[in-house]
Amino acid sequence: MDLRAGDSWGMLACLCTVLWHLPAVPALNRTGDPGPGPSIQKTYDLTRYLEHQLRSLAGTYLNYLGPPFNEPDFNPPRLGAETLPRATVNLDVWRSLNDKLRLTQNYEAYSHLLCYLRGLNRQAATGELRRSLAHFCTSLQGLLGSIAGVMAALGYPLPQPLPGTEPTWAPGPAHSDFLQKMDDFWLLKELQTWLWRSAKDFNRLKKKMQPPAAAVTLHLEAHGF
Amino acid sequence: MAAPVPWACCAVLAAAAAVVYTQRHSSQEAPHVQYERLGSDVTLPCGTANWDAAVTWRVNGTDLAPDLLNGSQLVLRGLELGHSGLYACFHRDSWHLHHQVLLHVGLPPREPVLSCRSNTYPKGFYCSWHLPAPTYIPNTFNVTVLHGSKIMVCEKDPALKNRCHIRYMHLFSTIKYKVSISVSNALGHNATAITFDEFTIVKPDPPENVVARPVPSSPRRLEVTWQTPSTWPDPESFPLKFFLRYRPLILDQWQHVELSDGTAHTITDAYAGKEYIIQVAAKDNEIGTWSDWSVAAHATPWTEEPRHLTTEAQAPETTTSTTSSLAPPPTTKICDPGELGSGGGSSTPSLVRVPVTLALAAAATAASSLLV
Repeated sequence: MDLRAGDSWGMLACLCTVLWHLPAVPALNRTGDPGPGPSIQKTYDLTRYLEHQLRSLAGTYLNYLGPPFNEPDFNPPRLGAETLPRATVNLDVWRSLNDKLRLTQNYEAYSHLLCYLRGLNRQAATGELRRSLAHFCTSLQGLLGSIAGVMAALGYPLPQPLPGTEPTWAPGPAHSDFLQKMDDFWLLKELQTWLWRSAKDFNRLKKKMQPPAAAVTLHLEAHGF
Repeated sequence: MAAPVPWACCAVLAAAAAVVYTQRHSSQEAPHVQYERLGSDVTLPCGTANWDAAVTWRVNGTDLAPDLLNGSQLVLRGLELGHSGLYACFHRDSWHLHHQVLLHVGLPPREPVLSCRSNTYPKGFYCSWHLPAPTYIPNTFNVTVLHGSKIMVCEKDPALKNRCHIRYMHLFSTIKYKVSISVSNALGHNATAITFDEFTIVKPDPPENVVARPVPSSPRRLEVTWQTPSTWPDPESFPLKFFLRYRPLILDQWQHVELSDGTAHTITDAYAGKEYIIQVAAKDNEIGTWSDWSVAAHATPWTEEPRHLTTEAQAPETTTSTTSSLAPPPTTKICDPGELGSGGGSSTPSLVRVPVTLALAAAATAASSLLV
């Protein structure tokens, strides 16, 4: 089926709206719960798993896009793709982010990225590529759920989209094939960078959540006391 | 008081005379500096002297043979490094110094080798460079760092002259860094550039203070401790994982252990009594590459102190019987295989001591069952 550009972006907007209104994961059962620690660890592990999955997916996809996108030295200027959530952040700002903001930024970023990834399912893509993308989207959905779980456990509200700020990615009137490929390239690059950043974000959260007493106990155990 | 004054007078006069002399005998204040390429030919004219002027050339005060001259010009063929020096030409009759050339023989620079590394992530990274071959003459280097279209400052290292440091302003950037270096000297020019992502150049320094200790009463254990490299600025937010390798000195094959947490590990499968060499490497948990191996630590697992080693050391090489060939020491009971398990308080201490001596005597026999 040959979708016209307008139709596919409309579908994208629709999908994104659906995504934003997913019900939040219920808060952890409070009776005897170990705190948000295990779910932070689980979220961290998921970012590592996704980063690993993305490496092979991105390699395949970039080869499908063909040169110059699959060349290791490819270093284009960042044109277009303005609406992509950027992982890059000032070092001091990143350090001083409070937990709520840190988690919110991660949640919002992956919500947007998942949306765009779903739109990546192109006409010309092979069946295998579509399957890999679909699998990755499912995993990314899992990561989103995990982040939502952590936020709920800590009592933070899930970010709700303001009307009019839903991620739509309207291409220009003459959005060429090459520019579309550039957008795909930046999407994958930004996704990879976000996964690296999230690993660091969740590391920081893990360290903050770790009660000091537990750390001492582990230390003693290691010495056979 | 009168003696010093005439001395001072003489010194001043001598100095004045020297100044006047050199001024009369040099037509130029400073020699002309000239750079020439190794292996090439060069003709040095004697300043503004006519081609047919009668001159003598000297290098570093030594006369040069007249067969090198072409008129008043000095011809040097196939320049070697030894040709570098101060060349001076004098009018043959008056010995008036006419011209001086300070000749440096060298090479134009080859393409420099540039590499960058972040051992202080997330603070920043440094780049260092060198030339693959010497030029023998002074070179100047110019480094530029671009992040996308933004120029970043590379601060010179206070100690090393072929290194400079860049501070990260932003983390988690998708835009690559491009570092270019150009090198030039009097004979030529060259340049190179590298591009990389923020994450790919992360490589910590090796762990520090690696110490290995035997564990008392454990003949097969070694306790290893180390510290995160002091250059890694934030191990809390950017934790490191570690890789330990160890082997007995007598073997070539390493054992490996990867540790995701902590700065200590106990080796539990060491060969008893063998000296071990142990090294540790570090890596950021998620990004970059492994550090180089640390300085090696050496340790030997704990072994029991043998008490009567001197009297029992003269043991024969092979025996078929474990008891008949040994002269039993006065206070130690020989451990007969038949006596094992028969209990008795006195046999227990000898059981501990004897395996050491029996091992010397009957290594190849069935007495191996006595070895604990």
